[in-house]
Amino acid sequence: MTSTVSSAPAVRRGTAARHPYLAALTTTRARIGLVLVGAVVLAGLLAPLLSSHAPTAQSGRALVPPGTGGHLLGTDDLGRDLLSRLLYGIRTDLEVIALAVPIGALLGCAFALLAAVHPVLDTVVQRAFDLVLAFPGLILALAVTAILGPGRLPVIVVITLAEIPVFGRQLRAGILVQRERDYAVAARVGGTRRARLLIRHILPNCADPLVVQLAVSLTVAVFLEGAMSFLGVGVRPPEPTLGNSLSQALPYLSQAPYFAAGPLLIVTLLVLGLSLLSEALNRETRR
Amino acid sequence: MRVHAPPASPAHPQLPSRRATLRAAGAGALALGATGGLTACRSAVSVAAGEGGARRGGSLTVGIHVDFTPALLFTQSDQALQQRLIYNTLIRYDEKLRPQPELARSWQYADDGRSITLKLRDDVTFHDGRAFTADDVIFAVENLRKPERSAQLASTARAVTGFQKRGEHELVLKLAHPVANLFDLFEFMIITDRHTLDDALKGRRLNGTGPFRFDRWRPGTGVRLSRNDRYWIPDRPYLDSVELRVYSHPDALLSALRSGQAQLSYGVSGKHLAPLKAAPNFRIKRYDTGSGAAYVGASVGTKPSDDKSFRQAVAWAVDRERVVQQALGGYGLPSAAPWPRSSPAHTEADRIHYTHDPGKARALLKSSGVSTRTRVPLGHPSQPLHTAIAEIVQYDLEQAGIRTELQPHDSATFQKKLISGTMPALWVNLHGFAQVHPATLAVSAYPFNEAKNTSGFRSKAYTDAVRAAWQQRDADGPAAHARYQRVSDQLLEEAFIIDLAIQDQVEVAAARLRGATLNKFSYLSLDHAYLA
Repeated sequence: MTSTVSSAPAVRRGTAARHPYLAALTTTRARIGLVLVGAVVLAGLLAPLLSSHAPTAQSGRALVPPGTGGHLLGTDDLGRDLLSRLLYGIRTDLEVIALAVPIGALLGCAFALLAAVHPVLDTVVQRAFDLVLAFPGLILALAVTAILGPGRLPVIVVITLAEIPVFGRQLRAGILVQRERDYAVAARVGGTRRARLLIRHILPNCADPLVVQLAVSLTVAVFLEGAMSFLGVGVRPPEPTLGNSLSQALPYLSQAPYFAAGPLLIVTLLVLGLSLLSEALNRETRR
Repeated sequence: MRVHAPPASPAHPQLPSRRATLRAAGAGALALGATGGLTACRSAVSVAAGEGGARRGGSLTVGIHVDFTPALLFTQSDQALQQRLIYNTLIRYDEKLRPQPELARSWQYADDGRSITLKLRDDVTFHDGRAFTADDVIFAVENLRKPERSAQLASTARAVTGFQKRGEHELVLKLAHPVANLFDLFEFMIITDRHTLDDALKGRRLNGTGPFRFDRWRPGTGVRLSRNDRYWIPDRPYLDSVELRVYSHPDALLSALRSGQAQLSYGVSGKHLAPLKAAPNFRIKRYDTGSGAAYVGASVGTKPSDDKSFRQAVAWAVDRERVVQQALGGYGLPSAAPWPRSSPAHTEADRIHYTHDPGKARALLKSSGVSTRTRVPLGHPSQPLHTAIAEIVQYDLEQAGIRTELQPHDSATFQKKLISGTMPALWVNLHGFAQVHPATLAVSAYPFNEAKNTSGFRSKAYTDAVRAAWQQRDADGPAAHARYQRVSDQLLEEAFIIDLAIQDQVEVAAARLRGATLNKFSYLSLDHAYLA
C-alpha cells in the first residue's frame, strides 16, 4: 500500500515506464523553460564572477550609455553599474522566492492535512484561507509592511502568506478525491491509522497538481516581489532587486531606455521559463 | 530651429521653356499675393491678442501629487496650492521679500516695534456675501495660535498679545516684542470665514475671499473651484474654473501633462523633467528662491551623533554636488547652509562652509575617537527622491568610514516620528521655511526650532542667536545681517541639521497658460492667469 496509485498507463507511446516528471522534462516546452530559468539562475549564482563592480558602488558618472567606461550595460541614475545591479538583483529575487514559495507550500500542505483530520478543523482552516484570499496580493503586502516596515523579511512573509491557501486548497481538493478511492477505503478497513493513511498513502497521490502549482507559484512570486519593490515596500535600498531597478528606471524611459531593458528582460525570461515548465508538467501529469 | 542651407545648383541645369517660365511667374505672383494676404490676417490676430492681452473663460487643471488635506488647512503641508485660490492673505511678498498690499491696504509699524496698525480693504466680501472686517483678521491670528492647528508660524502668532479695533477696517496688533518675521505671518495666514471653520476643516465648505469659490473636494481625486464673480479685483479672475487633480504617481502626472489632461504642475521632480524639456508646447520655469532643502538630521541624544565631531564629519563626507545632479536632476543649489540665494541670510562663505572632503571627515572621526564599528541607522521617507538622497548619503558616509543602515518609513510614519522627536541617530529629509525671513526657520520649522527641535538640540548660544534675530523689527542693514550670521554660525558649528542642497521649485505649464504665480509658501495665485 505504500506505492502510489496512478491512473496513467504503465507504458506510454512505446517508451519504457518513466516518472511523469522526468517525461515532462524531456518535452521541447520544458527544455526551453529549463534553459531560460537555468540561464537566469546561473547568471545570479555567478554574479561575483560576471561583474567587476560592486552593485552598490556609486560614481559621479550617472546614466552612462552601455559599453562606456567599463560599464557593459551602462550606469543608473546614481552612477552604479547596471550589469552588476542586474546580476545581484537576480540573486536577491531568487533567494527570496526560493525561500518563500517552498515555506508557503509546506505550511499550506500542513494546514490541508490538519483540516482533513476533523470537520471542525476543516471549517476553521477553510475560513482562515478565505480570510487570506480575500486580500489581493498587493493589499496584503501593504498591510504586512505597515506592521513590519519594508525589507526582505516582509517580502518573504507576504509571498508565504499568499501561497499558504493556494497550496492548502489544492491539496484539500486532492485529499477529498483520494480518500474515497478503494485503496483508501481498504486501508481504513484494514485498521490503518488516520495520520498514516493521510501521509503515507493519500499525500503521495495528490502530489502531481502540487508540483505544477509550485512552478506557477514561483512565477507569481516573481511578480509579487517585483511589485513590492516597485512600490517601495520591498527589499531595502541600496540592495538591488529586479523590481526596484525597474522602479528606478521609469523616469528615464525616454532618455535612457537601456536602464529598464535589463530587469524587464530578466523578469520576462524568468516568468516565461517557469510558465513553460509548469505547462509541461501539467500536460504530462494529466495524461 | 534648424536652418537648412539652399541646395546647390545642378552642374548642367535644364533650361525651362518660355511657356513654363510664364506659368511659373504667374504662379509666383499668385503665391506672393496669397502670402501677403495671410500675413495681413496673421498680423490682425496678433494685434488683437496684443491689445486685448488676456482671454476670459476656460478651465485649468492643475496636476498635484498629494491630495488636499482639510485637517492641515492651517499647516504648511506638501499641498498648499489651493490656499490662495480660495482665500487671500494680508500681504504678498515680491521677489525681494518686500511686502505688497493684499487684504491689508497699508501698515504702520510703531517706533518701538511693539505694535503695528493695519488698514484693511473695505471692498472685500466672502464667497457667501458677508463683508470682510477686522474681526476676521483677529480670528485668523487667534486661530493660528491654537496647538491643534499645528501651524508652523504659531510662535509668531503668539507674539501678538492684543488687538485694538479702530472701526471695521483698521486694526492695531499689540506685540510682546518686536517681531522680525511678522510679515511672514501675514503672507502665510489665510483669512478664513470664522462661521464655517468646522466645515472647512472637514473639507465640506471652504468660504474665503479669494478669486475662486470652493465647489467640492473628492478625497483621492482632488478639488474643484469656480470663478468668484464678486472678487475684489475688478474683472478678475479670467478663468471660469480650476481643478486640482491628484496624480499620485510621478509617471501618471507626467502623462497627464503630456496628454493635455493637466496644464500646470509644481509636482514634477527634476528627474522627470527630461521628456518635457524638448516639448514645444510646455514651458518650464525655475524658481531659485528655494521650495525646500535636503538635509541630514542628527539626534544629539543618540550615539554616535551626540558627538559634534561625528556630526561635522558627516557634513564633510557628503558630496552635495552629486545630490543636486543625481537626486534633484540638476534643479538645486549645493549648500551647507539652509538659505537660498534670495534669503538675506545667504552668504557664499556659509554655502561652501562644508564641501566634499572624505579625508577631512576621516581625520575628524579619528581625532574624536568616535566608534564607527556598529552600523548607524539612517532613516528616510520611502519616496523616490528621499530614497535617492539617502542612498547617496549612505555611500558617501561609507567612503569616510561611517557605515549606515537605511531605514525607510512611509511619509505619515516619518512625519509622526519627526514631530515627536523619535528619529534614529541620522535621518534624511527636506525642510522648508528658509525662503522667507531667516528668523522663521529657527522659530517655526520643526528641525530648527530653538525651543524644541527634532534633534533634541538645545544651547544657550543658539537660543540667544535666534531670539536676537527674531525679536527685532525687520531690517536689512549690516546689524540685521550680523544677527543672521550668528544663527548661521551656530547651525554650521553644531551641525545638528546638516544641509545638503536647496531645491528649486519647478513650474511646468502648458505654453498657452499665462500669469500663474506662487507665493513664498507655495500658494498658487491665478488672479491674472488665462489660457491664450
